[in-house]
Amino acid sequence: MASPADTQVWIKRGAFLFIAFVIMVVQLVPQSMEPRVIDIARWHFRLVSPDICLAVTLVWVARRPKYAPVWMIAAIFLMGDLIFQRPPGLWAGLVVVLTEQLRKRSREFRSLPFLAEWGSIALGVAAISIANRLILAILAVPVAPFGMILLQMILTIAVYPLVVLIMHYLFGITRVTPGETGSRGQRV
Amino acid sequence: MARDKNTEDFVTPIRRLLVGVLLLALFGLFLVWRIDSPRVERFRAAAIDKVVPSFDWAMAPINGIVGLVTDFQSYQQLSAQNQDLRRELQQMKAWKEAALQLEQENAKLLDLNNVSLDPQLTYVTGVVIADSGSPFRQSVLVNVGARDGIIDGWPTMDGIGLVGRIAGVGQETSRVMLLTDTSSRIPVTIQPSGQKAILAGDNTLNPPLEFLEDTALVRPGDRVVSSGDGGVFPADLLVGQVALGTDQRLRVRLSADYQRLEFLRVLRSQPHETINDPGGLLTPEAEFYGPAALPSSALPPVVPSDG
Repeated sequence: MASPADTQVWIKRGAFLFIAFVIMVVQLVPQSMEPRVIDIARWHFRLVSPDICLAVTLVWVARRPKYAPVWMIAAIFLMGDLIFQRPPGLWAGLVVVLTEQLRKRSREFRSLPFLAEWGSIALGVAAISIANRLILAILAVPVAPFGMILLQMILTIAVYPLVVLIMHYLFGITRVTPGETGSRGQRV
Repeated sequence: MARDKNTEDFVTPIRRLLVGVLLLALFGLFLVWRIDSPRVERFRAAAIDKVVPSFDWAMAPINGIVGLVTDFQSYQQLSAQNQDLRRELQQMKAWKEAALQLEQENAKLLDLNNVSLDPQLTYVTGVVIADSGSPFRQSVLVNVGARDGIIDGWPTMDGIGLVGRIAGVGQETSRVMLLTDTSSRIPVTIQPSGQKAILAGDNTLNPPLEFLEDTALVRPGDRVVSSGDGGVFPADLLVGQVALGTDQRLRVRLSADYQRLEFLRVLRSQPHETINDPGGLLTPEAEFYGPAALPSSALPPVVPSDG
């Protein structure tokens, strides 16, 4: 498949890898080491950032599954597991499961309204977050407070439309329009 | 190749198989990690050792931009800051004078009492190259590792106070688990009451004190230093000050500047010499105690007295 006519695919794949790399490096940059906490009324919130890397991956898989091959996703998230001190392999495996589900359904997404796409993404993210938490609890691995994980999950879902917009206008990750063909007229 | 429905049907089962193998490998790795954590953690340390230092070129511009922004912010407050610093400097001068006098007095008293102190701790200084990148973990990566003789468990300080301890050593990097991490537990002493407690990180900036014997003896503002119990850390490293949290728990305001962790000192802490035997009984080895135990030639000839 790697004939010169498919350079486009490889450029997009490279872009995907590059985005994931940049997100990881930005997260690694040593900034303030203070855990950030905000107080709203008498509630105590620990600030967490959304899992941007996951959101980006989901956008690519839901819209252009060809540009985000499964081995690339597995490699990126396994690296993330190793670097960010997560239990190695579990989160990567769950993300692969979710993306495979979305990949299967990506043809349906082309004709569905955006809200439906967002809804199924939200369900998927919630499912793997809870599955992750459950498996860790069953195997008695020490876990972070549940509130933080919930907050991160919600933020990741909330940030999805924004990531869709950015990917649409900056990297051309649009929905496949009806009748669109590949470089040599094949189906996409 | 032109792909239509038919060719895809041939491709799909193979692909499904490969994805299955991939998933098996990933979850298998997780299970292996759960069963034999140290081995996989060593692999993780080695992987980070290889990968993260090579991110340096990518981090440099981001660091630069962030530095620019913070610099700009601090330029804005320059004059106010200057005034504050001047005032602080004045106070510090008075304190410095007092400290010098106290130091002399202390040295004199120690000398008079013939006190032998612990030898000074030596240290290796490292630069923070990356943080944990996850809101659930409080740790940083420093650029010294096994190559520099770093050993797991050594305490780490910034210029002022304790920051954390080494947890995971690679060849050229090592991970410092901060005191704020949820799995950090440090035995501490609270001065001046001498109460012992455990400083338990809970992912907030001010970790709470646990297992305090008598909270009535501890007041906000008391100094917290490491206690050296359990041989975890050398004693008397400054940790911070006691503060009363909004949740009415005693917490510690850490002395180390967690906003700007840039250079860290890893203290070469030698394990305490342990005393194993209970001490020999003070009995003589020979049956006789006294002159009879000595060889007779060593004794002066016995001169019988005639009363």
